[in-house]
Amino acid sequence: MKTRNIITNTLVYFVLAVLSVIWLLPIAYLVMTSFRGESGAWLDGYVIPKEWTFGNYTKLFTDTTLFNYPRWMLNTVVVAICSCVISTFFVLFTAYSFSRLRFRMRRPLMNVVLVLGMFPGFMSVIAIYHLIKLIGLEQSLIALILIYSGGAALTYYIMKGFFDTIPRELDEAAYLDGYTKWQIFIKITLPLSRPVITYTVLTTFIAPFVDFIIASVIMKDNYNNFTIALGLFRMLERENVFRWYTAFCAGAVLISIPIAALFLIMQKNYVEGITGGSVKG
Amino acid sequence: MTKQQNTGVKKNARKIKAHANNKESITSLNALVHGNARTRLSLVISGFGNIMYGQIIKGLLFLGFQFSVLFIFISFGMEYVSKINTLGTETMRSEYNDALDIFVNVPGDNSLKILLYSIFAVAILVVGITLQLASVKSSYATQLDVKRGKQPNSFAADLRSMLDKNLHTTLLTPPFLGVAAFTLLPIIFMILLAFTNFDRDHQPPGNLFTWVGLQNFIDVLNFGGTKGNTFFGVLGWTLVWAVFATFLNYLFGMVVALMINKKDIRLKGLWRTCFVIAIAVPGFVTLLFMRQMLSEMGTVNVILQSWGFEPVNFLRNTMNARLTVIVVNLWIGIPYTMLITSGILMNIPKDLYEASKIDGAGPLRQFRSITLPYMLAVTTPYLITQFIGNLNNFNAIFFLTQGGPPVTDYYNAGKTDLLITWLYRLTVSFGDYNIASVIGIVTFVICASISLITFNILASAKKEETFS
Amino acid sequence: MKKLLTLILASAMILSVAGCTQNDSGSETNAGSGTGGGNVEVTLRVWASQEDQGLTRELADKFIAANSDKKITIELGVVGEPDAYATYSEDPEAAADVFFFPNDQLRSFVTAGGLYEVTRNKDEIVSRNIESSIEAATFDGKLYGYPMTADNGYFLYYDKSVLSEEDVKSLDRIIEVSEAAGKRVFMNLDDNAWYLASFFLGAGCTLVIGEDGRQICNFNNADGLAAAKAIQAFTSSSAYINGDDSVLKGGIGGTISAGVSGTWNAQDISDVLGENYAATKLPTFTMDGRQVQMGSFGGYKLVGINSLITDADKLVTAMDFADFLTNEESQVERFKQRAMGPSNINAAADSAVQENIALAALAMQAPFATSQNDINNNTFWGPAGAFGTAMVNGDTTDLQTLLDNMVNQIQE
Repeated sequence: MKTRNIITNTLVYFVLAVLSVIWLLPIAYLVMTSFRGESGAWLDGYVIPKEWTFGNYTKLFTDTTLFNYPRWMLNTVVVAICSCVISTFFVLFTAYSFSRLRFRMRRPLMNVVLVLGMFPGFMSVIAIYHLIKLIGLEQSLIALILIYSGGAALTYYIMKGFFDTIPRELDEAAYLDGYTKWQIFIKITLPLSRPVITYTVLTTFIAPFVDFIIASVIMKDNYNNFTIALGLFRMLERENVFRWYTAFCAGAVLISIPIAALFLIMQKNYVEGITGGSVKG
Repeated sequence: MTKQQNTGVKKNARKIKAHANNKESITSLNALVHGNARTRLSLVISGFGNIMYGQIIKGLLFLGFQFSVLFIFISFGMEYVSKINTLGTETMRSEYNDALDIFVNVPGDNSLKILLYSIFAVAILVVGITLQLASVKSSYATQLDVKRGKQPNSFAADLRSMLDKNLHTTLLTPPFLGVAAFTLLPIIFMILLAFTNFDRDHQPPGNLFTWVGLQNFIDVLNFGGTKGNTFFGVLGWTLVWAVFATFLNYLFGMVVALMINKKDIRLKGLWRTCFVIAIAVPGFVTLLFMRQMLSEMGTVNVILQSWGFEPVNFLRNTMNARLTVIVVNLWIGIPYTMLITSGILMNIPKDLYEASKIDGAGPLRQFRSITLPYMLAVTTPYLITQFIGNLNNFNAIFFLTQGGPPVTDYYNAGKTDLLITWLYRLTVSFGDYNIASVIGIVTFVICASISLITFNILASAKKEETFS
Repeated sequence: MKKLLTLILASAMILSVAGCTQNDSGSETNAGSGTGGGNVEVTLRVWASQEDQGLTRELADKFIAANSDKKITIELGVVGEPDAYATYSEDPEAAADVFFFPNDQLRSFVTAGGLYEVTRNKDEIVSRNIESSIEAATFDGKLYGYPMTADNGYFLYYDKSVLSEEDVKSLDRIIEVSEAAGKRVFMNLDDNAWYLASFFLGAGCTLVIGEDGRQICNFNNADGLAAAKAIQAFTSSSAYINGDDSVLKGGIGGTISAGVSGTWNAQDISDVLGENYAATKLPTFTMDGRQVQMGSFGGYKLVGINSLITDADKLVTAMDFADFLTNEESQVERFKQRAMGPSNINAAADSAVQENIALAALAMQAPFATSQNDINNNTFWGPAGAFGTAMVNGDTTDLQTLLDNMVNQIQE
């Protein structure tokens, strides 16, 4: 029995080690490329760079006339913070109403919202662009914030699952103490929902960093209001790729660091947020 | 406890139903049938009833809204709504400018704007009508209060009820306005486009498009034609992809989580971190980077060749490309599944395993009869969301293969194209908005039915009401 | 009832919309009343590619200084020529007033009604540019673009240390020598019909636009089949290497001995090759046992004016600016700074232009080049690119079937 256990454990360690290598290798290569001296996407038949440089990083912050990386970073952070605050409130409101409050049309509304969430997002981005234009906000960061948070209610499902598991008795006790429904929401439910709020904050905060389609349709040629994803993608366009490929890698590494930090710090809450509710159920 | 609550809820429901037949209940119909003159007049002049009952602020607010809605509709909407049946008739023309000796263009109609702004105007009208009815109902409610000898609600009391009895309205209004503006209106717009001939030959600003009925649906769903052939081919692969991408991710993610969480495996944090770092790199960066690495002359092939193997055409050969996108998607997806499942695994009661061990069950059997059923029960909503997400997984395909390899018997599509990427190419590169809309509608119908059915089965299985 | 919050939010939204629509109609009404001279204020938006930003800014400032009687502001947006029509069609109203585009997009632009006809100073513009460039900017007998460059074509770059001037005359010889030297020959055929077509055009196949605007293509006739066989022979040879520009630039001088590309890579390639930098027309290829010269697409870059300009003063200024951007002086400057081949007759005759290796190679290829005006951009590139992919992949489907599929779709 014991020897068998040792064998399986060794096997598990081995597999884990191999997998870790598979997962870390591309990232290591990305980091390596970001320090590469040779420009271009393609090395002529070798893998390890022959020249090393820190220049790709400094280039991002000094050569900013066209590829204004710091500006784009700032734009993205601003959009991410605003849209994540608004979205989180929207999701909270929707999920709480559907989970805790009882009113006419609740079920039909839930189904409608669920179905609307299924429409391929950027299908409608062209219509959204013209609507945004109608109110004079095209090519602006405000437009992006509105769009990223506007549909947030559609993703209420996970948070509702979480709320469903918070014992109703708590609400009833508070109600008897004379709390209004709003007070119950703020003082009873919210403090118990940290994990799922973390999960929502995290996912909505990251969205602007990775969205490409919506940003490209809204911003068009307005370089100053680009987000980081759009800017990085432009670096790989045919006319820029040769000079900017290594800088692209450097830029990618730079945005990955804060996201990695966020995830590592919040992973426990993240997991509980998405699963916590269902587990207790 | 739960049983009692359940019956309580049922009783409540019955009460509500009984109430609906009562003229005391506040519905628009009751208000118009049983309302007094003040109430009925509110249908014409918004807020009239409220003002007459002394609820001045509320009444004025209603009135103000009525005016803004009418103002917008007449000043802005009418112009477009009146052209909705043709979507415009005047094309651009040019006029001679004497002073500068030059022909200057005078823009004509813009079909796209006529369609979109008409929808917008009608939406505003719908809001207006809803508010109008709200005003009637509000007046009726006050009428009933007065009849019962109660004082009409003060504005302050109304505000207070927004945080208590009517909290759902307060909470749901802002998110729903967002959904209406950024999801619902655009969807209606895209659905209507499917019935027009807005394609590459009818591009603005020089051309108009118009209604063509079901022609686009006939083109796309017709088996024999190139478009139909492409549609069913792409649809097939989209489904295959979604199934593989979802379930392989799920399965492998769980296996990784099981390994990390195995009782006497050390350095759990370290192993987990290795995977979490992969999450940190934004997906599109990973995909673009992998694309370079896997290209014909990419790093992977350079390494293969240096080891004496033949280079592999990862992205341009149908079978290889399909395998590649699934495998790369595993690389991106497994860390997420691992994170989520490891949280749940820790919650599976240990005694279940011990009991089965005594029964002589091996690890594989344990997995099949304890772990997997438990996981499935808990994560089905997540799985469905993932499945739908994968049906529409634009990034994974667009950044890696761009839908390629393209083939000559498809209509502007390649062998790894999903409906969603095909649709994107048709609009952005070719301007075939009508065909794209049809594809969008079909995708939508598929996703919506899958999720509606499964979520409702789930909800009833979970007996949501027992929690409430 | 007490749906006050609903009301407040809805009204806020409605009022803001009302406010904006008013602004909108306000700005639309002041169109059209051109007065000329005096205190004219004009703001022009101009698109130029990433690399052209500096030069365009410089020329714009010169233009503003030369027209000090008007108050002109010129704003630059970054949209490269290849993306001009796609970006334009997303929202013509948000597009630039003046933009650059390759002449193969002329048909799309004109059929969409996106361009002003060139009317101001037309005679001089016609007389100062080479005839073929004017033809390329003309559609249905009307001139729609200001020719800016005459270099939007491709030819062969090669490494003199591997291939001799004699070797580069035929593709067979190039492959033979390269194989012997362990080097490879670059040509991007995968999903890129621009280069692929050179075999078909060389074989005598044609692309024509029919009366209804549909593409007529005979790439599937006997000559086309022979061309396809030649492509297959080329892509299946061990020396063949496919890829995008970065492969060529990364590999030339190393594993790559010769590659087909255009003037935009001239600087990078000559930097890498140094002494060994050379360029010439495309080679001949073997078809049915005889040597046939490869054809090519020859293109021009044009300046266009957005048809949605409704203000006469703005239109005049835009046309004058387009005129200025493409006059002899500007074209000389463009050659000096960006090594782009002029379409202006005098500028092209300049000795510095004549001595430019890449432009000379392009000129050698010119007699065998086909105008891109006869291509329907909507239907040609997709299917033809798909055929190229099949060739590079070594697809074993019957060649004639592949060709027929391609032509059917092109003509759809």
